[in-house]
Amino acid sequence: MTTMERLTEIFRRVFADEEIHLRPEMTAGDVDGWDSLSHVNLILAVERGFGIRFQQKELLAFRNVGDLLESIEKKLT
Amino acid sequence: MLIRNNQFNVGHICTCLQCELGHSGKLAMKWLGPRGEKASFTFEDLNQQSSRFANILGSLGFAPGDVFFIFLPKIPEVYFAFLGTLKARVIVGTLFSNFGDEALLDRLGDCRAKGVLTRKSYLKKLLRIRDKLPALRRILLVDVDDHPAGDILSLPKLLAESSPQFATPLTPPETPSVLHYTSGSTGKPKGALHRHRSVALQHRTARDVLCLQPDDRYWCTADHGWVTGTSYGIIGPWSLGISQIHYGGVFDPARWSEVLQDERITVWYTAPTALRMLMRQEPAFFSRYDLSRLRHIFSVGEPLNPEIVHWGRKIFGKEIHDTWWQTETGAILIANRPGLPVRPGSMGRPLDGIEAGILADDGAPLPNNEQGNLCLRPGWDSMFIAYYGHDDIYQQKFRQGWYWTGDTARRDDEGYYWFMGRSDDVINTAGHLVSPFEVESALLELEAIAESGVIAAPDALLFEKVVAYVALREGFVWDGDLELTARLHVSNRVSTMATPQEFFVVDSIPKTKSGKIMRRVLKARYLGMDAGDVSALEI
Repeated sequence: MTTMERLTEIFRRVFADEEIHLRPEMTAGDVDGWDSLSHVNLILAVERGFGIRFQQKELLAFRNVGDLLESIEKKLT
Repeated sequence: MLIRNNQFNVGHICTCLQCELGHSGKLAMKWLGPRGEKASFTFEDLNQQSSRFANILGSLGFAPGDVFFIFLPKIPEVYFAFLGTLKARVIVGTLFSNFGDEALLDRLGDCRAKGVLTRKSYLKKLLRIRDKLPALRRILLVDVDDHPAGDILSLPKLLAESSPQFATPLTPPETPSVLHYTSGSTGKPKGALHRHRSVALQHRTARDVLCLQPDDRYWCTADHGWVTGTSYGIIGPWSLGISQIHYGGVFDPARWSEVLQDERITVWYTAPTALRMLMRQEPAFFSRYDLSRLRHIFSVGEPLNPEIVHWGRKIFGKEIHDTWWQTETGAILIANRPGLPVRPGSMGRPLDGIEAGILADDGAPLPNNEQGNLCLRPGWDSMFIAYYGHDDIYQQKFRQGWYWTGDTARRDDEGYYWFMGRSDDVINTAGHLVSPFEVESALLELEAIAESGVIAAPDALLFEKVVAYVALREGFVWDGDLELTARLHVSNRVSTMATPQEFFVVDSIPKTKSGKIMRRVLKARYLGMDAGDVSALEI
């Protein structure tokens, strides 16, 4: 399973939506329910799902799904 | 003149009347979408689109007094549908788009809603609960071109087939109008029902408190799921023929500052949490934007802490005026309105014609500077007329000739009111009222959780945050996975706003002998304080 596929599964669980299909350019405006509060849930789920931790300044730099994906892959290598 | 020929219909006053007053070609709404989309609508557009919607409801068999809900993010169709529903004298309710299945079921089921306007991606939430909503006859979708089923219909198709002309029936002042659900500390949320007469006070306060002028460009940041988003994001300003900006994107300091600058906002109505998030920016951040057109800033939803007022003076060179009101009051009743010297931390003084009192629990009036129950003398135009279907609970809010707000406050010697807290367990997080009961119930749905108790705890950003105490069933262990499961369950069943920010695992939840959760004991435990009288505690 690719990192993108694993991330998609996490998004589907966090937002209770099996129809989410992630693309790198997607932002909070493209996913129903992705607001500042659910973002905390998402980050917690990503950290647990991949066994990684994000720094506060990294979180502020994410502009879209692609940035999040890139950061995850960097931490996994 | 607002009321002509005894026509109190809010939908008519905000659209047709504005056209009659010569505002047909004036900008009513500029909508800014989350991906940079823009769309502008005149009062004539607003009139025609809302009339089309009123005709649709008629053709689908909706009758005066039926309940129709809007379950959408901030998009133009919200406003057409809201005003069109009112024109048809159908009661209109609004729902936050981040509500989960349980929150939707509670609200739609309680008032036996007959219709919902939503979009394709939200439909699955409704379909999951539809078999428990026998009264729900029609679902309208804003983003499909053809009707997907006999009872799930395409709004664009219906709009195209409907007439833009609608003669709004004469609507007496006491006709039910808007329904907003609000959370209490016990039981399910209650639907605070308003009447068309409320427009009189919403109009007056938009003019005299928000000081809206004909040439203003006004931005109310509140979502329409919140009463501010309807009373002051729709009714008050449009009853005055004011041009509004509606921004449908998420909070972002740079984007918000661009909206203020690029849209030449003159009057801005927002909330303390948003202001506190903006306060995190360096002062130099704001010097990049030309905000010189901003004339007034107002705040609502939570107490406005003095630090924000001082920051506002420094950054904007303006006062930030606090306004106090509730879902049940329908309009601003106490405010630091322009012209009245601001006392940082105070909510201001009651408006002319509004009698407020600070009462002891037995109803005795308290002297100045003593904390007590904030009460209001009933009778103002926008006072709610019912908790839908729960007359007993409605009557409990009125005692000894006063409406009991549930807030506690004190009045100083100059007549300014100072918010002190809630007299119940309702949690005010970022201006949203969260019922601890709803969160506790959702947590109990998890197999691992045997007992739950939920409280409000102070928070520097949100004013209050949701904190959950849980006792586990035998054989379960609290770990990161279970915490994540609990967070996601509350988010998706109730709403993201209700998600606990902290969890504590305990052996048991303190309860009275009759089984009532003693949240006061949990709160004292959280704050490291004495729990007070615990004689009722179950041993």
